[in-house]
Amino acid sequence: MELHNVLDFPILSLSIFLPLAGALVIWLFVRGDNAVRWAALVVSVISFLVTLPLALSFDTGTSHMQFEEFHPWIAAFNINYQLGVDGISMPFILLTSLLTIICIVSAWQCIQTRVKEYMIAFLVLETTLIGVFAALDAVLFYFFWEALLIPMYLIIGIWGGKNRVYATLKFFLYTLAGSVLMLIALLAMYFKAGNTFSMLAFMDYPFDLSWQIWIFIAFFIAFAVKVPMWPVHTWLPDAHTEAPTAGSVILAGILLKMGAYGFLRFSLPMLPDASQYFVPFMVALSLVAIIYISLVAMMQTDMKRLIAYSSIAHMGFVTLGTFMFTQAAVEGAVIGMISHGFVAAALFLCVGVMYDRLHTREIGDYGGVVNVMPVFAAVMLFFCMANVALPGASAFVGEIMVLIGTFEANPVYMDVSTKWIAIAATSSVVLSACYTLWMYKRVVMGDLVKDSVKSMKDMTVREFGFFVPLMALTLWMGFYPMPFLDFLHVSVSHLIDQATTSKLDAAAALVQAMPVLDAAHH
Amino acid sequence: MANVTFPFPFPEHLITLLPEMIVAVMAMALLLIDVFITKGSKTTAYLAILTTIIAAAATVSIQSSEVLVAFYGMFVFDPFAAFSKLLIYAGTAFGMILSLEYMKKEVNMGEYYILMLFAMLGMMLMVSANNFIVMYLGLELMALSVYVLVAYQRDVLRSNEAALKYFILGALSSGMLLYGITFLYGVTGSFNFAEMGVALQNTDSNSHAAVMLGLVFLFAGLGFKVSMAPFHMWTPDAYEGAPTPVTAFMSVAPKVAGFAILMRIVADLLPAVQHEYETILSILAVLTIITGNLAAIAQRNIKRMLAYSTIGHVGFIMMGLIAGTAEGFAGILIYMSIYLVMTMGVFAIIILMRRDGIQGELLDDFAGLSKVRPGYALAMGLLMFSMAGIPFLGGFWAKYAVFMAAVEAGHLKLVLFALLFSAIGVFYYLRVVKYIYFDDVRVEFNFVESRPIQATVIAAAIGVVVIGVYPGPLMTLCRQALGGLI
Repeated sequence: MELHNVLDFPILSLSIFLPLAGALVIWLFVRGDNAVRWAALVVSVISFLVTLPLALSFDTGTSHMQFEEFHPWIAAFNINYQLGVDGISMPFILLTSLLTIICIVSAWQCIQTRVKEYMIAFLVLETTLIGVFAALDAVLFYFFWEALLIPMYLIIGIWGGKNRVYATLKFFLYTLAGSVLMLIALLAMYFKAGNTFSMLAFMDYPFDLSWQIWIFIAFFIAFAVKVPMWPVHTWLPDAHTEAPTAGSVILAGILLKMGAYGFLRFSLPMLPDASQYFVPFMVALSLVAIIYISLVAMMQTDMKRLIAYSSIAHMGFVTLGTFMFTQAAVEGAVIGMISHGFVAAALFLCVGVMYDRLHTREIGDYGGVVNVMPVFAAVMLFFCMANVALPGASAFVGEIMVLIGTFEANPVYMDVSTKWIAIAATSSVVLSACYTLWMYKRVVMGDLVKDSVKSMKDMTVREFGFFVPLMALTLWMGFYPMPFLDFLHVSVSHLIDQATTSKLDAAAALVQAMPVLDAAHH
Repeated sequence: MANVTFPFPFPEHLITLLPEMIVAVMAMALLLIDVFITKGSKTTAYLAILTTIIAAAATVSIQSSEVLVAFYGMFVFDPFAAFSKLLIYAGTAFGMILSLEYMKKEVNMGEYYILMLFAMLGMMLMVSANNFIVMYLGLELMALSVYVLVAYQRDVLRSNEAALKYFILGALSSGMLLYGITFLYGVTGSFNFAEMGVALQNTDSNSHAAVMLGLVFLFAGLGFKVSMAPFHMWTPDAYEGAPTPVTAFMSVAPKVAGFAILMRIVADLLPAVQHEYETILSILAVLTIITGNLAAIAQRNIKRMLAYSTIGHVGFIMMGLIAGTAEGFAGILIYMSIYLVMTMGVFAIIILMRRDGIQGELLDDFAGLSKVRPGYALAMGLLMFSMAGIPFLGGFWAKYAVFMAAVEAGHLKLVLFALLFSAIGVFYYLRVVKYIYFDDVRVEFNFVESRPIQATVIAAAIGVVVIGVYPGPLMTLCRQALGGLI
């Protein structure tokens, strides 16, 4: 088997396991809270630098997996340690390693208890997240996918808010219950596709329609919980509200993307016919997320809850784009996810900055923050505008591409013209402006009446520091998205080829060939 | 045949019983030796542990890829029996190690370890039995010894009550087992598994009812021993009432023996009635999985919770039995090996948590453990996540192996059901982690300091991680261990 790896070096393994190794070193050798903070920062920065070559040496001209690695892992079940990335998964790895640095910096002062465990949990989480995006073996994927529940469970449960135990249990059980269905689908596919767990083999194997539909449903439940899509989204507002700031950043920035990534990596290429078949269903759920959840967001009184609902609405755009099967829509979905990784992460950090000062997330407890924290007010305004998808911000690129792609789309199993879908989805532009700007108005603007708010101090340099890269990236992607799109073009068009090429003929041919093959065998 | 030579005339086929003979002789010798040992000395304990090690060495030394038979086919020694015996030795030895500190405080009598040896001897007979009579002898030897062990704290009411319940229900189940065997004997005219298997293939439809009755009673009797629902009623009481090391011992070793004999029966005796036993076992498995995973949620006592957790695990292990394939049996052995490691670790922590007077066994007692002993907390957390079946820990591969086999054998719906209940079951393991990590200390801790028990905890925690990350060698070993069975 030929491995495509221009670096001739196991860079993906290094990216995955360096944070884990760092966590081990911190656990065993580093004493003292400050030393732990610095050590964790150093580890996360080095981990980020290690992932940079993935982008710098990336070949944008091929849809083939890159930086591949292959080692037998569990021979008894033909499970392999198979890694590789394409243009769709690579950006998420960089996003993960970048956001981990920000998480560690953001916790510098607000986490004062069990600092060591906190840092270790985030580094372990980074390992599992990168593992999810780099895995090309289905069991390896599942392995990382489930393993990340452990650090996340502890992060919310130990450092979370008042109602943290309820929130973290709900998070764990919801996602686990979804994932076990994925496991059974993977086991079934293993036997069907000829005793292999290779995700690339699953993409090539012609499953017949009834199989595809059952497996699609199992995958759908697993991924929809993670995205999360309405109506299985209820764990997210709780988890976000109770999680510590950095936990929310990782949740919104990376964890939600895993579900959509699952649709892109599993459902579309492996089950193209079922994916087409379920387009109306997926579109309906996406529109509910965009419109209904936006309305729900408007009525929230807790800032973190509001941003959590806003995340669900934005992910509705992503799932809509994913199931339109056009170049622009799918690229827009991926860009939208990355952009949301910057913007939602930054908004949660903004809430965190305020929470560190006043220890409340209620919108009603604030008002007139701009008078005491002008720099912060400017930063928050920037990210609120980005959340509204103002032109010039990264979110605009993603949304406009999804909308264009939706106009062009022509799904097979759909009677309604997609332009109506696009028009319905466009309502999000208004709705997101409503809830975001209204929150901004109530929190930041107005007169300074509350005594508690009067005592708030503006951001420190450290706090400003972690917003800078996010602002820069948001603007860069908003004004000049070409470098990001270049990574995507070939991989996405290959994905669309896979997703629009029916496997049914091949499946039928396989059934026909069976007796012939058997006869030849005898 | 093995390369063991003896300086004196030795009937060739008896070599297959070498481990059993060693254990029997040592146990009886220890009964005498114990009289001369001063109270409070741990000599008997160390000699008993040594016996398990010697027996293991003997078992490994006659390890052979062929099937060795003794007593006209009543007794077999094959890789499958050898592997099961090694698991039983490990379970017994760990049970003895866990008893070292505990027994000093409670009661200090040498018979305790000797009873464990006799129970182990019974299990060894069971896994090597190729005949219902031998199986029954082993089973009763094991059961009687364990009844006494459960009742070992004579002056504790709870312990007595548990033992009495266990004994009465156990006697009833033995009766049912014998009753089932007589039906099968009536139809086939033999007690030998293989001969009965052949005879069953040639039976006509007239005897179908008798075969079914026999099977039902057989599974009821054996199901009692491995805690299948609805024959599980004794389990929570016996687990709670027994001294904690005995609970640890009886939650692993007898289960290994029980499943070993079930596997042998399914493999040798029942291929002809595959559909029937699949139906019976599927119903039992569904009941067992529901009972174990739901009832555990309601428990406040960790020993009772672990009792129901065991029942849940038994339900999952039955998936391998229902599959009835080589994959399924290998899956059971994998599950048993990992389950042994996890259970010993968990009970070791419970014993270390013991406080003066009160036993550290309510879930509340774990509150805030991570703030006092981060090491124990980490180990307990890993073991709980492992029992829940979360990846990078051993428990995941245990479930994976049996579920995979059941999917391959076409029991997709059953596996789906089991997986959903395993997700429900995760709740009560997570709750333990919640007490340990999220709560504050409520009651002052007062740990037992014991090197061997601490070593057991560390070994178990490292074990679940190592198996979780690199399960390949264990899986290969378990597959090789099927020689003689399939």
